[in-house]
Amino acid sequence: MSKNGNGEPEGYRGALRERLIKDKIRTWSKVSIKKGDAEYEGLLLPRSQHTDDDYVTLKVDTGYNLGVLIDEDVTIKEIGFHKGNYELPHIDVEFKKDLPNVTLLGTGGTVASRLDYRTGAVLPAFTPDELFSAVPELISTVNLTPKTLYQILSENFKPDYWVKTAEAIAKEIESGANGIVIGHGTDTMCVTGCALSFFLRNLPVPVVLVGSQRSSDRPSSDGPRNILYAAQLSGYENFGEVVIAMHGTPSDSYNLIHRATRCRKMHSARRDTFRTLSDIPLGKIDDTGVTWFKDDISPRKPREDFYLDSKIDTRVGMLYFYPGMNPDLLESMVDLGYHGVVMIGTGLGHVGTDVYPALERCKEEEIPVVMVVEPLYGFAQLRVYETGRDMLARGVIEGENMLPSAAYTKLSWALGHTSNIDEVRDIMLTNIAGEITTREGPRGYMVLQGVEPGIDEMMKNL
Amino acid sequence: MLDPSNLDFKKLGFHAGLEVHHQLKSKRKLFCNCPPILEENPENMDYSFYRYFRPVLGEMGDFDPGMLVEFEKGYKVIYLANERNTCTYDMDETPPFFPDMEMIENGFILAAYFDSSAFAEEIVVNRKQYLDGSITTGFQRTFICARDGWVPVNGKKVRITNVHIEEDAARRVNWENTSNRTVYYNLDRLGIPLTEIITEYTDVDNPEELLETAKQIGRVLRLSKIGRRGSGAARQDVNISITGGDRVELKGVQDLDKFDIMCRHEVVRQHALIEIKKEMLQRGIKKGDFEHTYVDISQFFDTDEKFFATIFPKMKGLFGTEVQPNKDFGIEIFEKSMLITGIPRKDQFHSDENQDGALRINSDHPSDLPMNQETYSKICSVLNPKENDAFIVVKGPEKRALHAMKKIVERVKMALDGVPQETRRFLINGNSEFLRVIHGKDRIYPDTDTPPIVISLDKIKELTKNIGKKPWEVFDELHEKYGFDHQHVDLLIRDEKLEKFIEYTEQLQLDHNLSYKLLVTLPREKRRNNIILTTEIVDKLARVLANKSIFKEQLYLVLDYLVEKPESTEEQLKKKFGLPKRSDEEIGKIIRSKIDKYDLNQIQKFEEYQELVLSKITGEVLKELNYHFEGKVLVEKIRQMIFAKEDG
Repeated sequence: MSKNGNGEPEGYRGALRERLIKDKIRTWSKVSIKKGDAEYEGLLLPRSQHTDDDYVTLKVDTGYNLGVLIDEDVTIKEIGFHKGNYELPHIDVEFKKDLPNVTLLGTGGTVASRLDYRTGAVLPAFTPDELFSAVPELISTVNLTPKTLYQILSENFKPDYWVKTAEAIAKEIESGANGIVIGHGTDTMCVTGCALSFFLRNLPVPVVLVGSQRSSDRPSSDGPRNILYAAQLSGYENFGEVVIAMHGTPSDSYNLIHRATRCRKMHSARRDTFRTLSDIPLGKIDDTGVTWFKDDISPRKPREDFYLDSKIDTRVGMLYFYPGMNPDLLESMVDLGYHGVVMIGTGLGHVGTDVYPALERCKEEEIPVVMVVEPLYGFAQLRVYETGRDMLARGVIEGENMLPSAAYTKLSWALGHTSNIDEVRDIMLTNIAGEITTREGPRGYMVLQGVEPGIDEMMKNL
Repeated sequence: MLDPSNLDFKKLGFHAGLEVHHQLKSKRKLFCNCPPILEENPENMDYSFYRYFRPVLGEMGDFDPGMLVEFEKGYKVIYLANERNTCTYDMDETPPFFPDMEMIENGFILAAYFDSSAFAEEIVVNRKQYLDGSITTGFQRTFICARDGWVPVNGKKVRITNVHIEEDAARRVNWENTSNRTVYYNLDRLGIPLTEIITEYTDVDNPEELLETAKQIGRVLRLSKIGRRGSGAARQDVNISITGGDRVELKGVQDLDKFDIMCRHEVVRQHALIEIKKEMLQRGIKKGDFEHTYVDISQFFDTDEKFFATIFPKMKGLFGTEVQPNKDFGIEIFEKSMLITGIPRKDQFHSDENQDGALRINSDHPSDLPMNQETYSKICSVLNPKENDAFIVVKGPEKRALHAMKKIVERVKMALDGVPQETRRFLINGNSEFLRVIHGKDRIYPDTDTPPIVISLDKIKELTKNIGKKPWEVFDELHEKYGFDHQHVDLLIRDEKLEKFIEYTEQLQLDHNLSYKLLVTLPREKRRNNIILTTEIVDKLARVLANKSIFKEQLYLVLDYLVEKPESTEEQLKKKFGLPKRSDEEIGKIIRSKIDKYDLNQIQKFEEYQELVLSKITGEVLKELNYHFEGKVLVEKIRQMIFAKEDG
């Protein structure tokens, strides 16, 4: 939001900006505009990007905003000044001895922040004051220490950021935190979650990734409830894994707890966008507490066993095969010096035969190609059809039932440790953090997690 | 309390304004592509979900006080939704789609009817917070199209301050139990395009003007053909104040006939609250006299439930004061603490109820506490009220009961300020109930989901150049030309038949009364018998009448035939009903045969009888002629023949 109030018509461009400066009109000036018979009075608001240059935005007495074209025939003059101060009220918070200490690492996204609608930038609400003011229930739940790591949109979350995030987590764990919450944009939350799952070995505390599908500047935001549940999970529950905990249904009823390596964002906008694929979620949390559905959950490990293993090779790419795909895409990855490729193949994991020569080249140059499946559910199985066997013969690694985000982060991680193709293959085919399930029960596909009628009843019986 | 039926509005300084909410005719909802259709039964649903809401900061960095009170209510909101008229946008599970541009344009057209001078040349979609659950996002998407217009009302200008276009809210299902913390809404109505037309809230000086203002605005929506028709398409909120009072918004009045009683009961209420304030000041009461000290008196009641009491110094007699017919100040306080905390009014008691003839006992909301003289005395023994003190008792679960007590003490303190700014729900008996603290401008902030939309002045000029006459101009013209009164013109406008009327009278040269009958009277008559007259049928009738292929005496005959056989051509109708012209001699024969049946002496003796016979004979003759004769001419003919006969 506007930090000035000292003469700049913020966001205004071109001739109109010149004119406003000349007329000594600033953002938050109360102005009177006369245009023919029309008279407008209101506060001059900052102007947002990608809008027409010749209009001013006014907030009129009723609180509504509107735009007026300013041309030569218009008179505009300042008649007052009233600067908005967008800040949540201060709340004093004292740490309580009997509450667990949880660190909230903010990376951006909208879970406890708001988008600056004028510039598109993310403004964190991560000072304790702001967060506690937005979600006062937090105060009596855990001793929460919010810290800001980054303020970026999650599509800009590069592999380096995974590493820095993991290092920050390790530092908090070493400082004695009882639980970690990561505030993260939802778009690539699963990718970061997978990377952290491989990096953080023998976790002594829960790491919960959380975000919001409705930004926190909306009264209906899912953020407050998500963050509250995340704080409870990480502060009190006995597990040492990286999980994603977000709304399980369109209702504010319960959140599902997903193992990050098996989780995928499945809807561009819904609150219950996250699903565990090819398995059921680990559990759920609601106002009555946590219900665990699965029994293979790693408990908190001794603190002394914890270590960080975040060596990665960032020269890894991902190719989504589609009918008609020109093999030169794969060829060019080799030419560009990529060290590993994750391919998303059709059905059981197939690509067209015209890609074979490129696969052969990868084999020759010892570039691992890991095949995962376009249907997302189920295993890559290259032994069933002739075409699959042809691919195996060309060195393709079956990615089991790893999700693309898991295979991608894992291959970066594996190549960070070894460039030996056989060792890479071994790592890729070994389950490290739940990214490969040895068996797939039917419920992993059938239980759609929050949409079918009667789901609440089914969830009770899982 | 003043007598509601005998009020001097001018002397009391009555002022009022309107917020008219009218749904617009559209093919889709404002921000999504769902069809704007309502369920017949609002409890219909294919699926359901529930939410909680929190207030967010306004753009200037303030929480709206009204929003904080809404949050205090702690509602759980359950939505009922149907596949055919709701989508993930209505569920607040997907961002809005581009708004229906036609509806934005309608906003500017409406503004032109009101001669608005200041247009929004760039539309900025705003979010107006509502935490009552009526909108799944927690805010209504709404925007200004124009400001500073007016409508003529009884010879003066009532200013139209704003013309908004916005999305309608969801429909509340089940209003009965306002103490319930769970509320239900059907999503069918959510998102239907709506216009909000706001008048300057000081411009109207009496209930008649208020009614006429609402009618003028309604006429514009009909004449412009922009308004959706049918029940529930229009809802008005009325702002009322009197001198010494304050602006109070009364919500959800659908029936304009209720305006009068509503105004009267609100005036009476504000006056009573002002009187209570005066009395409190007279008694030297200060806000600091009321303390948040709640005494647990559960031991005096023979149940496990919690009872709390608070003393209100020097307030004796005031809680029992009538503020609206059959409703005392205590009930007025309790309906607010009930709505915010969920403790029913019947579980809240004030000491004036213990007086002889206490109003509350026979009111619509008597207290239900097990309060006998013995218990009352015991409570007094603990509270030690002085002679002029009053007290209040609340029953309920501890946390909520204390919450209610807190709200009661706050409300009583506010009594020293007179009339609180509130939004109240209008009740069918003319009274009103607290709904919420009035919502202010701090609950509005811009919507980031839709970029501003430029509507240039040129585009606005283009849109509004063909709007035609305004309703009041139409009235003046038809009144002057044909002597039509308001009711006549209103029906023409309401039935959207004005253009046809002008076509019939000016192009077809049909008589204005006949045109009116064809366009308004007949269709309405038939509709009552469940027969819908299509425009084709009425047009056909108008043409055969205009071409004199049939006589107007044949109207019903031809109409019934057309309803049966709507495909009949004008030629066919002419052939069937336009019998070859009879000679005078033939007609004379028919008339004579009818006259002969009557006693001439009688006709001569009694004038009334004469008239009766005349019309009877006319009817019989017309029938025999298949109504193909002009009635007026025929009557004269018969009269002549009766006299000729007499002479003979």
